Amino acid sequence: MPFWGKIKNELPQIKAEKRVQLPEKTGSQAPFALELLITIVEKSKAEFYMDIIQSFEVNFQFSAPAHGTAKAEILDYLGITDTDKTVIFSVVREDRLDELTYTLETKFRTVRNGKGVSVSVPFTSMIGTSVYTFLCNAESSLNGGE
Amino acid sequence: MSENEKGYEVIFCIINSGFSETVMDAAREAGARGGTVIRARGTAGKEAEEKFGIIIHPDKEVLMILVPKDIKDAVLEAVYKSAGLGTAGQGIAFSMAVNRTVGLQ
Repeated sequence: MPFWGKIKNELPQIKAEKRVQLPEKTGSQAPFALELLITIVEKSKAEFYMDIIQSFEVNFQFSAPAHGTAKAEILDYLGITDTDKTVIFSVVREDRLDELTYTLETKFRTVRNGKGVSVSVPFTSMIGTSVYTFLCNAESSLNGGE
Repeated sequence: MSENEKGYEVIFCIINSGFSETVMDAAREAGARGGTVIRARGTAGKEAEEKFGIIIHPDKEVLMILVPKDIKDAVLEAVYKSAGLGTAGQGIAFSMAVNRTVGLQ
């Protein structure tokens, strides 16, 4: 079984244990900050990285096919024929980002053909308690939809 | 991982399909190193065509370029000049500050 397959199988248990509790009253201020993590990786490694990111309490991700912009001369010079990439967009709770980015950095350095770039952009607002709770991977006593 | 101590911004350029090379050439001249292109589709309808005189090409490309903050303005200007709304590329561009960057070293 590949290494990432093991992580994937352990996912439901990890998530149930680590689910955070939302406070009863939060006002208009979100108790947990969320950020959009944009990760650009080789097409063949997209699923591998999505599985890793998902294990950090990430409930919502989507990916889009993309390609790099390196010039043909440079690709020929380096003997590279494939510029196909995948861009992964993931909504991550801010308190999990340190650990996640550390893990990604390690994987980018150590996994063969696993080089990538990742940046995070903070969300400034969101509508819908249930959506927010889902994205935070939190348990809430609040009524959803507000 | 870095807490964006160098100060990076990500520039998003939404352009007509086929113009990513033009934009990237201009961005490179302004100091950008590389970018990633995602295929996309526009949603603006006939209304925009009638009001603003813009021909809507549904096929778009979204070009993402990660640049240090200090050259962001120069890259944005280069992008605007090469493929702004007044050109065939009919592009729009904006930048967002990023909190963390991984994999740049």
